[in-house]
Amino acid sequence: MDLFLQQTVNAFALGGTYALLALGLAMVFSTMGLINFAHGELMTIAGYILMACGLAGVPFAFSILLAIAAAVLAAVVMERIAFRPVRNASGATMLVTSFAVSMILQVLFQNFISARSQAVLVPEILSESVRFGGLVIGVNKIAAIATTIVMLIFLDRFMKHHRIGIAMRAAAEDFSVARLMGIRANTVIAGAFALSGFLAGVAAVLWVSQRASVDPLMGFTPVLKAFIAAILGGLGSLRGAVAGGFLLGFIEIYLAAYLPAGMQEFRDPIALCLVVLVLIFRPNGLIPSPALKAEKV
Amino acid sequence: MFTSSRQHFIAAALAIVVLAVAGVVIAGLFGAAAERVLTVFFISLIAVTGIGVYSGNSGILSFGHLAFMGIGAYVSGLLTLPAGLKMATLRGLPDWLAATELSLVPAIIVAVLVTAIIALLIGIAIGRLEGSAASIATLGLLVIVHGVIIGWRDVTRGAQSFFGVPRDTTLLVAAVACVIALIAARWYRDSLSGLRLRAGRENAIAAKAVGINVQRERLIAWVLSAAIMALSGALIAHFLGAFSPKKFYFHDTFLLLAMLIVGGMTTVTGAISGTILITVITEILRRFESGMSIGGFELPAVFGTTQIGIGLLILFAMFRMSEGVMGLKEWEERVFPYKPKRGKAEALAKRHSDDRLKVDHVAMQFGGLRAVDDVSIAVNPGEILGLIGPNGSGKTTLLNIISGVLKPTEGDVVLGDRSITGVAPEKIADYGIARTFQNIRLFPTLTVYQNVLAAALSTHGGKNAEERTGAALARLGIDERAGEDAGTLSYGEQRRVEIARALACEPTLLLLDEPAAGMNREETDDLIDRLKVLSADLGLGVVLVDHDLKLINELCDRIVVLNEGRLIADGAPAEIRENPAVIEAYLGPGKTA
Repeated sequence: MDLFLQQTVNAFALGGTYALLALGLAMVFSTMGLINFAHGELMTIAGYILMACGLAGVPFAFSILLAIAAAVLAAVVMERIAFRPVRNASGATMLVTSFAVSMILQVLFQNFISARSQAVLVPEILSESVRFGGLVIGVNKIAAIATTIVMLIFLDRFMKHHRIGIAMRAAAEDFSVARLMGIRANTVIAGAFALSGFLAGVAAVLWVSQRASVDPLMGFTPVLKAFIAAILGGLGSLRGAVAGGFLLGFIEIYLAAYLPAGMQEFRDPIALCLVVLVLIFRPNGLIPSPALKAEKV
Repeated sequence: MFTSSRQHFIAAALAIVVLAVAGVVIAGLFGAAAERVLTVFFISLIAVTGIGVYSGNSGILSFGHLAFMGIGAYVSGLLTLPAGLKMATLRGLPDWLAATELSLVPAIIVAVLVTAIIALLIGIAIGRLEGSAASIATLGLLVIVHGVIIGWRDVTRGAQSFFGVPRDTTLLVAAVACVIALIAARWYRDSLSGLRLRAGRENAIAAKAVGINVQRERLIAWVLSAAIMALSGALIAHFLGAFSPKKFYFHDTFLLLAMLIVGGMTTVTGAISGTILITVITEILRRFESGMSIGGFELPAVFGTTQIGIGLLILFAMFRMSEGVMGLKEWEERVFPYKPKRGKAEALAKRHSDDRLKVDHVAMQFGGLRAVDDVSIAVNPGEILGLIGPNGSGKTTLLNIISGVLKPTEGDVVLGDRSITGVAPEKIADYGIARTFQNIRLFPTLTVYQNVLAAALSTHGGKNAEERTGAALARLGIDERAGEDAGTLSYGEQRRVEIARALACEPTLLLLDEPAAGMNREETDDLIDRLKVLSADLGLGVVLVDHDLKLINELCDRIVVLNEGRLIADGAPAEIRENPAVIEAYLGPGKTA
């Protein structure tokens, strides 16, 4: 029982990070139909800023802000330079464009920083743990869960009440009608990228504070998982992305905990097969995107 | 069965053979290093073509095809590996497999078959996913297969190098295999399945309306492309002799996709050009990678120059030529424009049907909106029925219900004595119901002829499809535009192509959703005349939705009027004009005088 609870806490921590990443992907996808492969590189950029701040002796709290700001900036610049020229192109064109951006950035990190993993200074407190009854929970896990909850509440408020949030939701349902209502495409798309960069930055901080290192491919694996989570939840659906992220986190953690030792090597394939199984029954994901209903014949 | 010109296919096949022979001869002159480069080129080209068969024709970008390449490599490798080595290093193999030692060609055949079966099972599982969701699912496939290969150590040596595979892939073997793969891909593009799949890529909803089962065609392409990938995988395995799972993962996926996309995803010409272009650029950039001096300047060694170069090339191609450098047409389609034979208008048979269409107390609820509310209408055989009403009154929704696009929340649609409520949209055409769409839904990059042919081939078992196509085009007076891309036609012409496409299904009931929208008076009058002749000659029943009351009044035997989802009038045109409820619905209350 204790093991189960322990693993559940871990699942919330991991699933929360996936949820934040998947949410960022879903925001961009729902406004412009782009699946951003370079989302992982936003994480990596934030990770390198944390590393640099650590080396320069900047206080950790301040370096978090800098890292997140860098991810936001990078996301906005990325949209302006790479994605605006292909804005109205097909989904495949945009996908490939982002794939190319991702690859170029990875090679640049390898050349100008280092191909090898770099240590990041993380405050001692994050690697300590707290006892709750029989549970031993890492401070970083608690921080991850708390951050995820705060972020989700903040985003929910933002999307419901803020002018740009409402515009983004409108654009997600029907971009052309939203534009006819006077919503500026550039504002909405830049807003979506800024938010997705923000989420990637937060996810990077959570990710790095559990691993204390950063390498050129750091963002690749978590964002790959976030892709899967976003599809699992329903591509383009924000609530779906959150649900998919958590579900994937749970699947992975429980498989790691309860799969017999001989099968552990097949953990990732099994997890993905479970995802595919869900998709066979719900091809549009757990919570399908509202844009699907809006398609008119 | 060719759905396009046989000459095009022959020209393409000849060019492929000539290019391959020329490549082999030229590489022979330059010696062993050039032969190795060319062998790898041929193997890559097979893989690029394989991805193209699926992604190009279906429009769904696949990241997962290297999984099939990997399966092909490992399966064929396990079959050709010397028995002694297998017994010593791979303990997990069953005895029969450990004792098997095939030569290259039978091993390739087995590997291709095994991969095709695996692809079939996977395709059935993920076939329901659409668009970007399908792309990401293929990415998942890549990760799954990679994980299985790494985890299955007793059979695959896990992440370690799988070594000892006999190096039997010679330049000649690769060249022959490449020619086979390219010709198969070119053949598929113009095959019945290929045409249907391309139609589905261009417009899935319209494809279903003319009887195309897009998911089935997608599955065919998926399996064929997986088989081609397995061929490529088996060849690279027997070229390298030793490889690890990394060979079939993201790096090479990206490289091969880059070749396909830069060249042009939808054509074999594009696959060939893209592979040549990227191979040449890679070979050039590789020389820069280790640093060199040009005219006294020392260039530093930059790791990953090739990757950055290819990345930039892709960005350039996506910004400037998002269809790839070769665009959407094969070279032979550009060089030899195809003029389909003119058909005879009489070839469309008069199809008699006694089946009455009855819409029985149908309702359609969208969330809080009741778009159609308890509507009952009947369409008699051969009758032209006008369906009018203000915007948002539920006309198109009603057509969508009849044509199977929507399943009504309540009520029943009955044709003759068969209920067609909830019949899949791609099956409705064979019940004799064909339709057009309010916002034109053609297959824009297919020719006018192919637009109509795809419909003819997918209805009534494809019998006399060419005659039906020619006749439908002649009936609508667009046969001289038959060889042009449908998307390049004027608006009025596109509307007529849409009607011709519906006619080619030889329906007994034709549903026309605002056929005259956007037409000028002359075009509308021409359309009125044509529809009159069609209805008289073919005994065709028509349900006509339009706001053009001249069109409605001149054509219709009877008119039904919807308002806010409800049926408010049903009668002859003269009665409808006098009906106070109709006047009120259109003009508002108090204007009856």
